Amino acid sequence: MIDQSTNRAWRRFAWAVLLVAVVVALTPYVWMLLASFKNRVDLLSSVPKWVFTPTLSNYPAVFIDKEYWPLAINSVLISVSSTVLCILIGAPAAYGFARADFPGKEDLFFFFLTTRMAPPISIAVPLFLFFTALGLIDTIYAVVIAHTSFNLSLVVWMMRGFFAEIPKEIDEAAMMDGRSRLGAFFFVVAPLAAPGIGATAVLCFILSWNEFLYAFILVAFEGRPLTVGIPGLVTPHGTLWGQVAAVAIVATLPIVLFTFLVQKQLVRGLTFGAVKG
Amino acid sequence: MAIVFDGVTKAFPDGTVALHALDLAFDPGEFLVLLGPSGSGKTTACRLLAGLERPTAGRIMVEDQDVTNLPPRLRGMGMVFQNYALYSHKSVYENIAYPLRIRKMAGAEIDRSVRAMAELLEIGRYLDRRPSQLSGGQAQRVAVARALVWQPSLCLMDEPLSNLDALLRLHMRTELKRLHRELKKTFVFVTHDQEEAMTLATRVAVLREGSLIQFDDPREIYRRPANRFIAEFIGRPAMNTFDGTVRGGVFHADGFTCPLPGRPDGPVVLGIRPEQIQIVDASAGDSARFAVDVVEAVEPDVLIFARSQASKLIVRTASDDRAFKPGQPLHLRFPANALHVFDATSGARLP
Repeated sequence: MIDQSTNRAWRRFAWAVLLVAVVVALTPYVWMLLASFKNRVDLLSSVPKWVFTPTLSNYPAVFIDKEYWPLAINSVLISVSSTVLCILIGAPAAYGFARADFPGKEDLFFFFLTTRMAPPISIAVPLFLFFTALGLIDTIYAVVIAHTSFNLSLVVWMMRGFFAEIPKEIDEAAMMDGRSRLGAFFFVVAPLAAPGIGATAVLCFILSWNEFLYAFILVAFEGRPLTVGIPGLVTPHGTLWGQVAAVAIVATLPIVLFTFLVQKQLVRGLTFGAVKG
Repeated sequence: MAIVFDGVTKAFPDGTVALHALDLAFDPGEFLVLLGPSGSGKTTACRLLAGLERPTAGRIMVEDQDVTNLPPRLRGMGMVFQNYALYSHKSVYENIAYPLRIRKMAGAEIDRSVRAMAELLEIGRYLDRRPSQLSGGQAQRVAVARALVWQPSLCLMDEPLSNLDALLRLHMRTELKRLHRELKKTFVFVTHDQEEAMTLATRVAVLREGSLIQFDDPREIYRRPANRFIAEFIGRPAMNTFDGTVRGGVFHADGFTCPLPGRPDGPVVLGIRPEQIQIVDASAGDSARFAVDVVEAVEPDVLIFARSQASKLIVRTASDDRAFKPGQPLHLRFPANALHVFDATSGARLP
């Protein structure tokens, strides 16, 4: 009996902790959602308003009148392209690390990781000069290349574990069955690693979609994604909070949906390397 | 000679030399068994033949064609792996069909081949299942079917029975023998289990530390082991061996002597199989006196572990195990035609 009541107390405590965590995490998002439906008066009232007459004007004001809708397309183009590039380049590299044995392998592997260790801002200026010299500044290509280069290390790091989990006899069986080494990778190993590749791709997509710094530095007008569009709503006449909230909601919606859809695989993918060591 | 290893050496990057200049040639249609303890290079030899490894030196020839640098897919060999290596995302049917799909065979032809092979291996009922829904024995049958379905001239098997439990292993062993007879293909089978080697092989290649130490049919390997190592490796239980010295036509070991006429004086190793030792009466001449240590009834036979000072031996006899009590004396005779003599230092068989 005592056991059961202590057990119940613990459960209640756990629920309380979870509840606090959920409130802390969700309140800003809910507040932003409400803000996107508020008019200027409600937004700037000194007492936070939870009850108000909603307005739908913020969304068309920013996406149509200010022509922000192409920014959403830019966001999609940048994220999808860099994700595809990351997987196309990173997956074979990770496979190589998982299977081949060559001198300095672990050092090279660690080097890949170190490319993410410096603070992103530290290479912002060289990157800017680099893309200026290439004539790619203010195009989405620059952003795609930048995102690909810094997400690549993550892809290689994560996917190596997924490939290592597949016994090498599978590759060898495929080769004995008549595939070349490359054929074994594309037709047998890659389909087997599909859940891992998917989880990695989702993570790449999210990281690229949310990225602000490089996008902000590398594009000013044509190729802006949504994240870079938001500062443009800080005007000399004051910040248009309702429109900022509207853009932010549209910008976060795909990520929220995506995460709900694939949360199981994503957790598996992220904890994978940790478990494997 | 159709399949030839010509001075094949394999050294791995970490410095281990798995094979030292292996010379081995065997015929199409054989059931060749590569036998040896772990680290003997038997698996490496198999993988070299498959093309999964490249030799450091030497050539591998198949039907007068140098295949040393050919990738696996161009060698026309099937392979069965110890851990089955089935494609877990495909059904059993698609697993077996895969080599045919790669070869772009017509659908009807694939269906016919897959079903015929499944029938032969008695897995026709499981074609719709996933590999994860199969038992070890069924999975291994699928792996064998996949290796043979496209009619390769040679089938490699790398310890295919090692992951199966004892009873299933015996059953699969018989199945493989039947399969070899019916398909008339060349089988190359890697194992560390001497019983599998002796029962399956047309010829056994015994490897040790990367070198071929005997290549013969199982019968000869059992009756005329090329050296002490093979004598002590083959047979269940293995051959008894004694270090000792020949003086004036008599072998002297610690605790017993045995006539060994026609041998020059000097140190030798004497060997005799447990089942060839005769138990005789105390009154009989030419017998050595041992004491019973442990008695094991391995029905229908009895194994008697006996000793005389430092010399220990095992006797296999069909007598009643209750007739022997630990500590009681045991008079043994070693028939002259059952004795094997090996060099004391090299271990090589002396004629």
